Amino acid sequence: MDKKLLRLKTRRHFFHDCGVGVGKIALASLLAGGMGTLPASRNSGVVQDPTTPQSPHFAPSAKRVIYLFMAGAPSQLDLFDYKPKLEELEGQPIPPSVIAGQRYAFIQPDAAILGPRFKFAKHGQCGAELSERLPHLAKVVDEIAIVRSCKTDLFNHAPAQLLFNTGFQLPGRPSMGSWLSYGLGSEANDLPSFVVLKSGDSLSGGAAMWSSGFLPGSHQGVPFRSSGDPILHVANPKGYDDRAQRDSIDLIRSLNQQRWGVVADPEIETRISAYEMAFRMQSRAPELMDLGSETKQTLDLYGAEPGDDQKLFANNCLLARRLAERGVRFIQIYHAGWDHHTQVEAGLNKQCEATDQACAALITDLQQRGLLDDTLVVWGGEFGRTPMVEASAALGRSLGRDHHPQAFTMWFAGGGIKKGITIGKTDELGFHIVERPIHVHDIQATILHCMGLDHNRLSVNFRGLNVKLTGVEEHHVIEELLDS
Amino acid sequence: MSMKRSRFLFACLAGLAACTTAGQPGILCAQAKVSFNRDIRPILASKCFVCHGHDEEDREADLRLDVRDEAIAGGALAPGRPDESEFVHRIFSDDEYEIMPPPHAENPLDESQKDLLKRWITEGASYDRHWAFVPPKAPAVPSAAKINRARNPIDNFVFRNLEKNHLRPAPEADRYTLVRRVYLDLIGLPPTIAEADAFASSTDPRAYENLVDDLLNSPRYGERWAQPWLDLARYSDTNGYEKDRPRSIWPYRDWVIRALNDDMPYDRFSIEQLAGDMLPEASSDQRIATGFHRNTMLNEEGGIDPLEYRFLAVVDRVATTSIVWMGLTMDCAQCHTHKYDPITHTDYYRFMALLNNADEPDLTVPDFEKTKARQRIETKIRELEQSLASKFPAPAGDGTEAQRRADHLERELAKWIASTKSASARWSVIRPAEIKTNLPRLEVLDDGSIFSSGDITKRDMFELTFDLEPGELPITALRLEALPDDRLPARGPGRTYYEGRKGDFFVSEISAIADGVNIEFAGSSHSHSDADTNVNRTVFDDDGSTGWQPGNRKGQRLQLVINLRQPIEQAQKLKIRILFERHYAASLGRFRFSVTSRENAVANSLPVEIETILASGDGKGWSETEREQVTRQFLLTTPLLADARQEIDELRKTLPVTTQTLVMQERPADHSRPTFLHHRGEFLSPRGQVSPSIPEMFADETNKDSLPADRLQLARWLVSDANPLVARVAVNRAWREFFGAGLVQTTGDFGVQSPPPSHPDLLDWLAVEFMKNGWSMKQLHRLIVTSATYRQRSAATPQLVELDPQNRLLARGPRFRVSGEMVRDIMLKSTGLLSDKMFGPGVRPPQPASVTALSYGSTAWHPSVGEDRYRRSLYTFRKRTAAFAAYTVFDAPSGENCVVRRNRSNTPLQALTVLNDEMYLEMARALAQKTIEQRFNTTPDSAKFIFRSCVTRPPEDSELNALVNYFRAQKSRLEQGELDVTLIGGDEQASHELAAWSMVARVVMNLDETITKQ
Repeated sequence: MDKKLLRLKTRRHFFHDCGVGVGKIALASLLAGGMGTLPASRNSGVVQDPTTPQSPHFAPSAKRVIYLFMAGAPSQLDLFDYKPKLEELEGQPIPPSVIAGQRYAFIQPDAAILGPRFKFAKHGQCGAELSERLPHLAKVVDEIAIVRSCKTDLFNHAPAQLLFNTGFQLPGRPSMGSWLSYGLGSEANDLPSFVVLKSGDSLSGGAAMWSSGFLPGSHQGVPFRSSGDPILHVANPKGYDDRAQRDSIDLIRSLNQQRWGVVADPEIETRISAYEMAFRMQSRAPELMDLGSETKQTLDLYGAEPGDDQKLFANNCLLARRLAERGVRFIQIYHAGWDHHTQVEAGLNKQCEATDQACAALITDLQQRGLLDDTLVVWGGEFGRTPMVEASAALGRSLGRDHHPQAFTMWFAGGGIKKGITIGKTDELGFHIVERPIHVHDIQATILHCMGLDHNRLSVNFRGLNVKLTGVEEHHVIEELLDS
Repeated sequence: MSMKRSRFLFACLAGLAACTTAGQPGILCAQAKVSFNRDIRPILASKCFVCHGHDEEDREADLRLDVRDEAIAGGALAPGRPDESEFVHRIFSDDEYEIMPPPHAENPLDESQKDLLKRWITEGASYDRHWAFVPPKAPAVPSAAKINRARNPIDNFVFRNLEKNHLRPAPEADRYTLVRRVYLDLIGLPPTIAEADAFASSTDPRAYENLVDDLLNSPRYGERWAQPWLDLARYSDTNGYEKDRPRSIWPYRDWVIRALNDDMPYDRFSIEQLAGDMLPEASSDQRIATGFHRNTMLNEEGGIDPLEYRFLAVVDRVATTSIVWMGLTMDCAQCHTHKYDPITHTDYYRFMALLNNADEPDLTVPDFEKTKARQRIETKIRELEQSLASKFPAPAGDGTEAQRRADHLERELAKWIASTKSASARWSVIRPAEIKTNLPRLEVLDDGSIFSSGDITKRDMFELTFDLEPGELPITALRLEALPDDRLPARGPGRTYYEGRKGDFFVSEISAIADGVNIEFAGSSHSHSDADTNVNRTVFDDDGSTGWQPGNRKGQRLQLVINLRQPIEQAQKLKIRILFERHYAASLGRFRFSVTSRENAVANSLPVEIETILASGDGKGWSETEREQVTRQFLLTTPLLADARQEIDELRKTLPVTTQTLVMQERPADHSRPTFLHHRGEFLSPRGQVSPSIPEMFADETNKDSLPADRLQLARWLVSDANPLVARVAVNRAWREFFGAGLVQTTGDFGVQSPPPSHPDLLDWLAVEFMKNGWSMKQLHRLIVTSATYRQRSAATPQLVELDPQNRLLARGPRFRVSGEMVRDIMLKSTGLLSDKMFGPGVRPPQPASVTALSYGSTAWHPSVGEDRYRRSLYTFRKRTAAFAAYTVFDAPSGENCVVRRNRSNTPLQALTVLNDEMYLEMARALAQKTIEQRFNTTPDSAKFIFRSCVTRPPEDSELNALVNYFRAQKSRLEQGELDVTLIGGDEQASHELAAWSMVARVVMNLDETITKQ
């Protein structure tokens, strides 16, 4: 029997019999699943615990997600959404009819138009138009689906990043990875189900973006550090060899077991299992992090360089593939540095240099290993950038672009996504969407859908409200993005 | 337990389980009459009210089931006649178009629920008001006939219920378990071995009660109980959001600790936190208490709309207030009328209006010691200033030194006067007759300056109209003075409070119109010529992104002079417009305009009074005071005395920094802030203005004219007996701290959707008792911990755990893992490192640098040194976006939301933390050191000491043997060099003993029992 099914059956069984064999159930979960499935304390309530995991709703097209979050918001107008009209009108103020009622972060709405900073050309069989700054992506463009009509409600980084990652503009809600961990448990029994990797500048949304919110802490995203211990405290203390660690954990287990014999609290059994899993994580981590074990060919494909922090994004992409192979459910890669209020051209040169090759390599590598079919890859920022120029003497800014929530571009690949398509359209200034607007919540609904979850059913009652990742308004899966 | 009995119990509890889905844990007896509140409302609330409740907008088929008469009139209910009730027909229907709830709702009724609903109609379909909305009355204390162990009325309620369920309470916990439990519950720390032994061996029949009194009087009590309150208050030492910069609000945290230690009655405790600023002659402490609602986050990201985030902060205040004092999820009504509870969309915004009329200043915390120190230093500075003349350099030459010095001073002063005089102009202050702004409130002060208060935006516009006097003409130049004021952020002169420097301003554009004619400007100058931007013309270049700003001169007087191209020769009205446009709010906080007739006036760095004196004559006409003022100015600025002034400059640096804390300040009557209903809860969709009030469900004929209309009245109402919820919610939260779950499980939600209390009468009795005892929290806690219910053994049989896994029936004592902060506090105390220093700014225990490196700006975490490293966890600096990792891993909240109920997860990352975190290893070594210092004779005695330091009780022989064997095995490995003694012992000098004992200590610290209250 499939391990996961076994687990689900066990839970159902448990609920029917209500309260019988709690400890055994806990252990069964542990055996069947990974750390994401550790049950909450009995004291916090089993029967009515709002955080009890649920089953997948239907057959998934993806088993895992690698989300390449481009924090700061890359300029869609210079990378994906080619607008010759902007070239033509460069330097002229944008027509008031276009900008009526819009709020901006830094610029005044009547700022002048700025043309695309790069040349565009059509690529692949699909003929998608891409900027010359994305030469590597151009080679795999037939594998991806481009959405040019994404929109969000927010025009500042932290709230917009939180909306994308947690479905809400304020900190404190469970993140997408936590929802998935909660909804599906984990495939890995020696790694967290939700891992966070980061490169580039500071992240506006901060730790709230991988918080488990009101879900149990076991569903929280675990940041992997690029140097030192990948997971906090995963290395043995100084001076302890594996045997000393094993002896210690054995003694802890034996004493805990004795205690369990006296008080019969199933929480002790859970703790014993947690220590075992901790030990397995410790044993597994060094091997996982050893990028040196990859072939030179693979390293070159990504442009990765083990230990070189200049190549962090590439290293993280490669690590993401390794995590995917080991059953991690949600791998969130943040790369911050796209907030080009000034000199958007130079900024994009730098960030594309750092990321383009590795993004494309991830697609190629996953494909070569047969993992792309059930791995959903998502690329995008928290909003787009304005067709208008940002310039300010006081802030020393020129030839930049401000925040633009009205329209921006993302791409998707693998895990049930149709290949080589482009969805959505913006007006000739790239300002407003004119075809197929897609809201952040639609994107979240689609990601959950690929993972076998109905976004309307994945909810938890919190403060009297059935909270969902996709909020209270009606939102829809992007059907035309799905293969089949 | 006999086989037969056990089977019976099982059947009963299986019944309980079935009822549980109908929302009634703890209440058995399937044959009892159906109770609307207990059995029916929870079903209706979760299955029916969404479409057939009190929300008119979403009501389907015009049918409401929440009001009996309407449900009958609508044809749904026929009381006593289930077969004639459409309701029954619909819920039992097989037809997909008839069945209710409809299949698309994916929220079907189960069979037992259908049966209950049918029985309810058969029995007459009676309705009751939701129990929580009916004020509690003290119920009669029942007697539990067969269980005679009651120590106080709590036990009567609990035991009576056990009897009904054919259960018996567990025996009293052994003394060691009990002493550790009550220590952890009342002061958050375990007892020392000596304290535990003293209690265990005491023959005093009142030993336990005396211990409880001692613990309640311990200063540690306030520290222990501040923690859950600070969770509710979403306390943090940083602002949150992207930048998450530090804030100073720890005086509020200290206020909470003191109030709890003083056993401040809960009603006063509440009123001071909600509206202390509005109390008559509010004290500083009462104002500090209002920090409760200043714990909301502050978004400092560039480019945000400050009014939007202020609105969101008030939304948070509404949610927090309703959760803490009413146990209601009022935040559900932000976007639409509440689906379940009788709170309308309008109710929500009227409630918001009560909280929405305050400004949010910083308060300087009075500090007697600091004030004295400051006065001492200032006196010294004045003395030194007065002696400056005597230090003036005396050039070589004839005459006495004093004579030469005086002559030299005279000469230099004259030179200085001559040079500065030529640059000084005579200015007349002009006072506006009329003021308009986009939003802030401007007020003209006695000196003609203008003070700004109220809300500010990223694009503020001031328009001032002056009536000109003939004597002020012709006007050749305008002068704008930016002035400091204690009421402004960092003393001003600007009002910037986020993103930019506090007290910053940014004058983008200035324009002037005289009698309707635009005035052309020729140029400008300003007082701080070394500022980073060239100010000339930037305030009249039609570019809002350039302008005049103070640089880093916060709290200073600054001036800007604008010269006119043509003098204003005659005009009656002068209109001046100022635009402040920045990516953060940056308008002026206090400023003043003056005019001059002097040609080519330039901005002066001299104080205005000195300039006026200098411009007024050649010195001969000056009064003695004027001459003194001028001389003093010279002495304070001349380069000739730079060395002599160095001591003064140094002294100034030693002036003690005052402590600020964030407070609420109700607005003046003439500047109240309007509150609007926001369509769908959106900031950008304000609709009609609403007046302040509490939800209509609390209004009736008797009180409708006296409902709260401001924040203070709200605070008083919340803790009055008019609010049926407050005492129940408060005692329920306390109950959860002791027993792990509330009598009402949803600690933050007492609304109609909440599961009914496991012991409704006990809840009401406790609530009434709490009020009767003058809202004393200590008495409430004493009552609970002295009950026999609390004193039960927590160990249980596997059968009982299986039958009642959550211990809802309380047939045993509580057993659960403590909070992350308490985990660390237990370790600190057990290992002897704990500092008992109280109060003050947050401190930083050690944690890996990588924790905060992930946060915005990669803030460094410099671990505190000395005793601050070992302070109670309550004092740890709380950073919202990079919370202290060893607490977070144990479900400590991040301070972003009001948290009534922490999760209690049990994860491998917790194991890794206690096993491998250097912070805990340091503690293990300290305990090893302490053990060695005890000089025990035998290895088992040392092992026992370590064991008991952490878990209090003496170890069983098997436990002790395991520890001793482990010690010997590790020591032998250390001696053989298999393990590195220096690394494990943490010190070059570490002995094998120390290293091996620290390994033992680490094992014991990792036991489930060490981090569990049982």
